[in-house]
Amino acid sequence: MDPKFTEVSQIFQLFKAAFVRKDFDTCIKLLSQLKVMLTEFKSLPPLFEEMPNAIQERTLARDIYEHAVFLSVKIEDQDALERDFFQLKPYYTDTYGLQPSSQEHPILGLNLLRLLVQNRIAEFHTELELLPSSALENPCIKHAIELEQSFMEGAYNRVLSARQTVPHEIYVYFMDLLAKTVRDEIAGCSEKAYDSLSINDARQMLLFSSDLDLVKYIEEEHPEWEIRKGFVFFQRAKESAPCKEIPSLQLINQTLSYARELERIV
Amino acid sequence: MAAATMVSSAGGLLAMLNETHPALKLHALSNLNAFVDYFWPEISTSVPIIESLYEDEEFDQRPLAALLVSKVFYYLGELNDSLSYALGAGHLFDVSEDSDYVHTLLAKAIDEYASLNTKAAEAHNESATVDPRLEAIVERMLDKCIVDGKYQQAIGMAIECRRLDKLEEAITRSDNAHATISYCIDISHSFVNRREYRREVLQLLVKVYQQLPSPDYLSICQRLMFLDEPDGVASILEKLLRSENKEDALLAFQIAFDLVENEHQAFLLSVRNGLPSPKSQPSEPVHSGSPEPGSVQSGNTTTTEDVQMTNGSQVDGNAPSPDPREAIYAERITKIRGILSGENSIQLTLQFLYSHNKSDLLVLKTIKQSVEMRNSVCHSATIYTNAIMHAGTTVDTFLRENLDWLSRATNWAKFSATAGLGVIHRGHLKQGRSLMAPYLPQGGAGGGGSPYSEGGALYALGLIHANHGEGIKQFLRDSLRSTNVEVIQHGACLGLGLASLGTADNDVFDDIKNVLYTDSAVAGEAAGISMGLLMVGTASEKAGEMLAYAHETQHEKIIRGLALGIALTVYGREEEADTLIEQMTRDQDPILRYGGMYALALAYQGTGNNKAIRQLLHFAVSDVSDDVRRTAVLALGFVLYADPEQTPRIVSLLSESYNPHVRYGAALAVGISCAGTGLSEAISLLEPLTSDVVDFVRQGALIAMAMVMIQISEASDSRVGAFRRQLEKIILDKHEDTMSKMGAILASGILDAGGRNVTIKLLSKTKHDKITAVVGLAVFSQFWYWYPLIYFISLSFSPTAFIGLNYDLKVPSFEFLSHAKPSLFEYPKPTTVPTATSTAKLPTAVLSTSARAKARASKKELEKANAPKTSGAEPSPAVTSPGKGKSSDKDGDSMQVDIPAEKKAEPEPSFEILTNPARVVPAQEKYIKFLEESRYVPVKSAQSGFVLLKDLRPNEPEVLSLTDAPSSAASNPGGSATGQQSSAAAMAVDEEPAPPQPFEFTP
Repeated sequence: MDPKFTEVSQIFQLFKAAFVRKDFDTCIKLLSQLKVMLTEFKSLPPLFEEMPNAIQERTLARDIYEHAVFLSVKIEDQDALERDFFQLKPYYTDTYGLQPSSQEHPILGLNLLRLLVQNRIAEFHTELELLPSSALENPCIKHAIELEQSFMEGAYNRVLSARQTVPHEIYVYFMDLLAKTVRDEIAGCSEKAYDSLSINDARQMLLFSSDLDLVKYIEEEHPEWEIRKGFVFFQRAKESAPCKEIPSLQLINQTLSYARELERIV
Repeated sequence: MAAATMVSSAGGLLAMLNETHPALKLHALSNLNAFVDYFWPEISTSVPIIESLYEDEEFDQRPLAALLVSKVFYYLGELNDSLSYALGAGHLFDVSEDSDYVHTLLAKAIDEYASLNTKAAEAHNESATVDPRLEAIVERMLDKCIVDGKYQQAIGMAIECRRLDKLEEAITRSDNAHATISYCIDISHSFVNRREYRREVLQLLVKVYQQLPSPDYLSICQRLMFLDEPDGVASILEKLLRSENKEDALLAFQIAFDLVENEHQAFLLSVRNGLPSPKSQPSEPVHSGSPEPGSVQSGNTTTTEDVQMTNGSQVDGNAPSPDPREAIYAERITKIRGILSGENSIQLTLQFLYSHNKSDLLVLKTIKQSVEMRNSVCHSATIYTNAIMHAGTTVDTFLRENLDWLSRATNWAKFSATAGLGVIHRGHLKQGRSLMAPYLPQGGAGGGGSPYSEGGALYALGLIHANHGEGIKQFLRDSLRSTNVEVIQHGACLGLGLASLGTADNDVFDDIKNVLYTDSAVAGEAAGISMGLLMVGTASEKAGEMLAYAHETQHEKIIRGLALGIALTVYGREEEADTLIEQMTRDQDPILRYGGMYALALAYQGTGNNKAIRQLLHFAVSDVSDDVRRTAVLALGFVLYADPEQTPRIVSLLSESYNPHVRYGAALAVGISCAGTGLSEAISLLEPLTSDVVDFVRQGALIAMAMVMIQISEASDSRVGAFRRQLEKIILDKHEDTMSKMGAILASGILDAGGRNVTIKLLSKTKHDKITAVVGLAVFSQFWYWYPLIYFISLSFSPTAFIGLNYDLKVPSFEFLSHAKPSLFEYPKPTTVPTATSTAKLPTAVLSTSARAKARASKKELEKANAPKTSGAEPSPAVTSPGKGKSSDKDGDSMQVDIPAEKKAEPEPSFEILTNPARVVPAQEKYIKFLEESRYVPVKSAQSGFVLLKDLRPNEPEVLSLTDAPSSAASNPGGSATGQQSSAAAMAVDEEPAPPQPFEFTP
């Protein structure tokens, strides 16, 4: 057995132990160590050199990255999640001869959810297209798809209620985030739709349980809104809609130059 | 396999870039760099991250990041960004890598470097702005090219980038320095646009040349000529002349002939003066038969002065012990001075044109008969045509036969009729003055002549002595000063300008200026042109003076003359002329703008400069004055003549313009730049214009067509025949407009110019512009305003001859091969007597002579059986009857009819034996071969022009051809040749073809 491989395996054992202990600081440290060591394996993407124990190495690497993904959810680091997911992805898409991982679909679903939360709908659909049709049946992925559909329809209550039916416990973090995304959407729409709303209506609209939460939200996210006499006024946000001026001088010049050119045609 | 080993996305690697650990970043970068060719679209979204890595001072692999970014930008097509990052990549950017990326970026780098350097050089601040990293890349590339033996690339790059040091290195390290240098010369002429820089390159080349173990003196001298360094040429010539080896002397002569071909009078003059005289004069100066006696007779040329001076020193009585080496040198130097003065070439050309004259008098007769008597335009056009047809041949039979008809010319027509004699006798330096004597102003004594013929005669003298006017200048000046008749002044000014072309003689200039300041329209116009001729290419500040006067005067004619004159002064000066051109083209006066067009044309003649073309096209479509537009289009012809294939393409749209002036200009532009090429596109472009709805467009198109088709035989392009028939039809058509008729008449003259032995050539064989020819055509194109200027076209004629010369500068008889069907290049068949329109007296003429001709022809047949159509045999009947009377002339005429007809019966051979000197048309040159067992071998490989021959069997007696007729007449006056002449002609005995009898056409 390759000494390097053994070393990586050992460190990974330590990492797993720490992960179970929820000692995330140690995890982060060990993970970074692991990643650097992984770069030295030639059998891994993107080089894919064929070696006798390539399958083992790739399986181990995949395992490490899967854990990395979960770790980043646990520490609630979306950037790290994205990074780790992309590094993991080649192991799902490109590596032949590797046993499919049990974690594959939850992680793919997680990624879809992340995109939904970050409101990156285009990328969401791109990812979706890349999935084989069989995968769409998987509850984890199906969940994400349904969420997206409700989200697009504007059935926000359905989105929020879906929190109760998560297929994987790791999704909970994102479901919370999703609620916020939904709220932002609603806020954006109401801003356009209404001049003002009573605080009561606004609270219902934005799905807050108390007026206090609403006021806090407005202060944090939309300081330009105004709360007066029990109403929320949106007007100030609407001010910027300058009517476009016709660039008359430019047009005149252009027309004149066309005329000149026409005259010149021999 | 390859598919299996590929990832489908670079997303993982890109994600890795965001990792905090540097080792991971590095891993990602190096892998991305390996896969960038496939994943650049993905990577391009992450470029900002990589860029930030590159800018991160602490990151130790910054060059790698730079390389990656550079590659991505390359794929995105952002070459500028790509290059700047590639520079950041430093040594990681591998110039020897064989990939599209590297190739593209190298090209970009070199372009960038070249443009920076050029800009720096043009702004005259020594670079310093150039990025050293860029320079390093370019140098790496240059070195690599040199090491790999790709010298041409290296040279091209070095010239582009203005790295003369590298250029030198490339040339000296190449295995075949001569080939490399000639390549270098080619590109420096065709691609280096800035005159200054071209000079630098050429200077370097000369330097390199001289360091070579076996220098190619011919090329060196050509370069030195371009650089205008007569001293260098003179010292090389001296070295060659002093050599023991006879071949070196031959080479020196060859150089001299080549220099003369470029027609740079001022330069030749200084070379001649730069040649050191022999230390002591041998007791017997030169044996008879050398050109010496001729030059003594010729009057006050410098050669003669020099000989007289040295003769004088001999008389001093130092009793010089004739050092044999000095004697040889002295003999040689006399010869070379003769050559440099242009006398040898002019004399030989004259003899060639005279003996090979094949002009068809029947064409002229047809024209004469079909032209209406009272139509003075066509009448004088016929006179012009006669002159052009016989330019340089000294054959004035037509005029003699038609004295009565000629006498209808009055006033200015008389002026041009007289001047036409000058064209016919062009180059007849020795006899010129006596020929014209009857018409010249008689200093007060017998001043009975008409001022028109007197003026014309002065103009004629100028034409005879064009660009070789040392001998006649004084006389013309005197004539100019002693008259105040404006017609005579007009002629004298033109003559003087022609004779002292480009000499920038201040005294002459002052004389002409005095005429200008009399503010007489007729004389002033000529004075303006004349000043330009005098100052050709000097870019002197006199132009400012002329411009000021042009603003002052009221006469349009004077302004026009001056405008052209100013344009002439900037001849070939390229950028130096820009201020003047700017000044002229922005003037209020359309005539000055019109001059500005000429200035553009002449300053950038033959350079194909894009800026000039753009400017001309701009004026061609946007100026308000038709004259300016016409000239702007016409000027394109001058700018583009070095690359005739381009012109038809560039003016093709203009030739379809709604404006007839623009169409006319387009026709002439094609005519000028494609002259003598017979270019198919040019003919196709001109063809529709010859049947244009506007008469003057037809005129221009016909003339242009004739210029393009000059010396093209019907066998090589069938359209030539069709064009000849078209011309005839137009001339015979009674209802045709006068303008186009005149065009047709002139066109038939140009088509058969110079006895069908000349072509219009603006470039010499060494690609040097022929200043006289270009100037001639430029002034010729002015005939729109002033018909007598038509004669200037004769300046652009150059004989299409192969003239081999031996050491004594004689023409030995030897044969060589033209490896092509004779019919391809033969003379056009003489017109047969028109049957329908012929009058009664023509058939009788044929009948009376054809019997005799047949008898003669059968006599000749024996001689000709061996060498069919040897040109040596044919001139003999012509030689025996110089200044022939009516009957003998017709005799010769009908012979020409018969001989080709007889030959037709035989199957056409695939080759032809030519005898020195022979007519070799430009298209034929590539077929010329020298026979292997030939006695003579040329010193340089040349297919036409003057070629010095090395005699491999010097002991055998030489057989001289062609020249012996005139020269024997000189050595043996009153001999058999002259004996046959009429008594009037016998008086004027000379080695030249006898001068024609004086005749007066004014009753």
